[in-house]
Amino acid sequence: MSLFTLGIARGLLGQVLGMVIGMLLTCAVRILLGWEAWAAEPAWTVGAVCSIIGFLLGVGSLDDWLKWTKGIPTPLHHGPPVDKPAWTRYFSVDYNHKVIGVQYTVWGILLLMVGGTVAMIFRTELARSGLQFLGLDLYNSFIGMHGMIMIFAILLGVGGMANYLVPLMIGAEDMAFPRLNALGFWFNVPGSVLLLLSLFVGGWDAGWTAYPPLSARGPIGYQLFFLGVFAIGLSSIVGSLNLLVTLLRMRPEGMSLFRMPIFCWAVFATSLIQLTATQLIGTSFLMVSVQRALGMGFFDPRGILGEVSPMVGGGDPVLFQHLFWFYSHPAVYIFVLPGLGIVSELLPVFSRKPLFGYKWIALSSMAIAIVGFLVWGHHMFVSGYNDILRIPFMYATLLVAIPTGVKFFSWLGTIWGGKVHFDTPMLFVLGAISVFLIGGLTGPILATVPTDFPLHDSYFVVGHFHATMFGGFVFPFFAALYYWFPKVTGRMYNETLGKIHFFIMTPAFWVQTLGQMGVGVMGMRRRIADYDPTLGAGQIESWQLAVTIAGFAIAFGVMLMLWNFFQNAEVGAAAGDNPWRSRSPEWQIPSPVPEHSFPAPLHVVGEPYDYGLADAGYVTTASTGDD
Amino acid sequence: MAKNRRHFGIVTVLIVICTFVVYWVLDSVLLKPAAAVLEAGPIDYLFDLHIWLIAFLFALVAVFMCYALIVFRARGDEGDGEHIHGNGTLEIIWTVVPCFVVIYFAWISTTMLIDLSRPNPDEYVVNAEGRQWSWLFTYPESGAVTPDLVLPVDTPIRMDLTSDDVLHNFWVPEFRVKQDTVPGMVTHVRFTPTIIGDYVLRCAELCGTNHSGMLATVRVVSAEDFQLWQSEQLAQVQE
Ligand code: HEM
Ligand SMILES: [Cu+2]
Ligand SMILES: [Cu+2]
Repeated sequence: MSLFTLGIARGLLGQVLGMVIGMLLTCAVRILLGWEAWAAEPAWTVGAVCSIIGFLLGVGSLDDWLKWTKGIPTPLHHGPPVDKPAWTRYFSVDYNHKVIGVQYTVWGILLLMVGGTVAMIFRTELARSGLQFLGLDLYNSFIGMHGMIMIFAILLGVGGMANYLVPLMIGAEDMAFPRLNALGFWFNVPGSVLLLLSLFVGGWDAGWTAYPPLSARGPIGYQLFFLGVFAIGLSSIVGSLNLLVTLLRMRPEGMSLFRMPIFCWAVFATSLIQLTATQLIGTSFLMVSVQRALGMGFFDPRGILGEVSPMVGGGDPVLFQHLFWFYSHPAVYIFVLPGLGIVSELLPVFSRKPLFGYKWIALSSMAIAIVGFLVWGHHMFVSGYNDILRIPFMYATLLVAIPTGVKFFSWLGTIWGGKVHFDTPMLFVLGAISVFLIGGLTGPILATVPTDFPLHDSYFVVGHFHATMFGGFVFPFFAALYYWFPKVTGRMYNETLGKIHFFIMTPAFWVQTLGQMGVGVMGMRRRIADYDPTLGAGQIESWQLAVTIAGFAIAFGVMLMLWNFFQNAEVGAAAGDNPWRSRSPEWQIPSPVPEHSFPAPLHVVGEPYDYGLADAGYVTTASTGDD
Repeated sequence: MAKNRRHFGIVTVLIVICTFVVYWVLDSVLLKPAAAVLEAGPIDYLFDLHIWLIAFLFALVAVFMCYALIVFRARGDEGDGEHIHGNGTLEIIWTVVPCFVVIYFAWISTTMLIDLSRPNPDEYVVNAEGRQWSWLFTYPESGAVTPDLVLPVDTPIRMDLTSDDVLHNFWVPEFRVKQDTVPGMVTHVRFTPTIIGDYVLRCAELCGTNHSGMLATVRVVSAEDFQLWQSEQLAQVQE
């Protein structure tokens, strides 16, 4: 079997070819215009665009649509490829949502590891003051790189959970648009390749937020970074469209919106944000890209491009921040809503009690999604926008805390009076609540403008958002991995290792995030390669060391988890169909889930979370339940 | 029900204790820089109010959760918990009460913010320009230009900020307030230094390679010393 039977290998080859063709094209056009043939920035930019298309053509994600243009029918193939080993389907275009879900998740975990490695490198640098082994420029590239890789990883993790679980939870055969679903995943691969490649053409030194004018003048790495984000953004948009249609159109008879498993509500709210906000980050980065490549000064207040182009100035750097945060604030809810959905989904199972206030939790996700669109200005309190704007953004931001609070109280109501079991997934859910609590509680102090003055762009913000993202994504994601591992593989992970992972990672994370906040209050700025050792009455260095050690402990815990999964995916104890005694539809079918998930259409006969009510069913399949 | 009432009694007591403990811990580990301007007063007051809120809410959720986990743990049986789907009154209470709390916080912040940014007719104006990776200060009154900032104590100051290249940010941790400097635009920040001494101005907006080293000394001096310094500068300018 040659390597190129794997779609991903063909895709990567296509990406390289696309890059070369794009570069040649640029040179050709420049020669025709009578300019010097080679100019690095336009060549890499056009090359990067073509490389994304090259990848998609190579991997075969566009094949079916191309055939349609010629009128060739393309019946959906079910099951593993006929002439190749079954495992190859995970490395090629496959239309089954369960395969795509695994692809998303695995790619997400890979990026999580890359991003984590980058973080450990600069965390080591920060363990002591002074510059040890990283240069200033490399440090600045690394922090942005860490941030953006982690965002990619989170979006992929979210995509993984949503694609795998949503059709199973609503008893659908597959997603509404299987081909679009595959395309949505495959956009991510060339996107992440471009992002990583950017480090080798100079990197980019303005952090993940990439504010111009700085981002309009740095190395070529910016262009690859912008286009990488663009590709991921396209994935978000087509993926969310697909999920929305699936959720609205493919529910079985009797499953009203308020009878869906609660995770589906979280995915619904997330997808609404993704579908409507992602364009803004795409636009803002594209405009900087065009400003760099063609000299159109969208964000250029005067002549920063100097002699290079006659088209200079007339722009406004603050405008970029509005466009950027109009996506990037709602984006933080894209990261956390699915995770909070996992918390709401798992708590009833392990507390053996109905979800407390189902409708309130469901609607609070929608409220967060909607109000989340009105608060972007809280990232710009000191940006120089009109002072008056601070006030409405302050009120709106504080209001977001309300639906977030509703979730917490409803979770407490769920546990209260239950019979709580402490299996690893539940431990991670509880860890998630504790960590998200720290993150959420440190939000309002950033939202009231007078207290944001000292805290903005300090390390306190770093602590705040790590706590929200770990509590809202990482912990729930790990809970989900442990919880659905038996469903995906049919095997059980090692419970002891899982618990060790939890008890290492959770306290370590508390130390990390509180330490970050502490050094921020002392007056340490964020995004600095070196800090003043006299801050905090000289205590700052010991705090930094503690944060670094905690970071390594977290990394160790994650490796323990991956090893646990790796070990047990094939040889672990058989898990059985429903080891958690869940009522959710995906647990009523065999593990691992067969190619056609449900033998017959689902019938919804009750409420999803009727734990504690004897003989109350939720779903039945016609073949077994229609008596 | 009676059993629940006893639980709630214990939990309430624990929450009160826990609130004070968390506040005390946060208050003693969070090492704020010294307060060297008038504005630090209200800002630190609001900060403290937030710490109380954080301590209380943390205690509320953490105590309830830990208590429930201990009391309602499954004791080896495979049975289910109580069949309760929710409680509309409770949900309304914990939606509406926090509404009032956040509106209260927003309200006092608004009035404080208006006070903090109100122009003062007696304010002393200094221009500052950020550039990769240093600062330049111009004193319109004397025409002096310096790389370090010298300010008279107990005088309301208005900094008129701009940038020569990319975004920077004017921040002296002891002064609390901060403000971006934006090319092509003049932004303002106001404060009144109250303590004579040397401070470090730290650029707080990522601005490229040497962002971490973009510092300047800020010397707050007595009114007489400032007059002296200013006349020295004036003499230099006239030479
Ligand atoms: C109680 C709700 C929350 C409030 C009131 C809040 C408030 C804020 C504010 C005001 C800032 C700007 C801080 C500054 O730069 O000065 C901020 C930053 C941030 N918040 Fe939150 N937040 C909340 C929850 C969340 C959640 C759920 C997330 C999800 C992950 C999140 C992620 C972030 C991120 C990523 C940043 C930093 C962005 C950057 O500058 O790089 N926050 N938050
Ligand atoms: Cu935000
Ligand atoms: Cu700077």
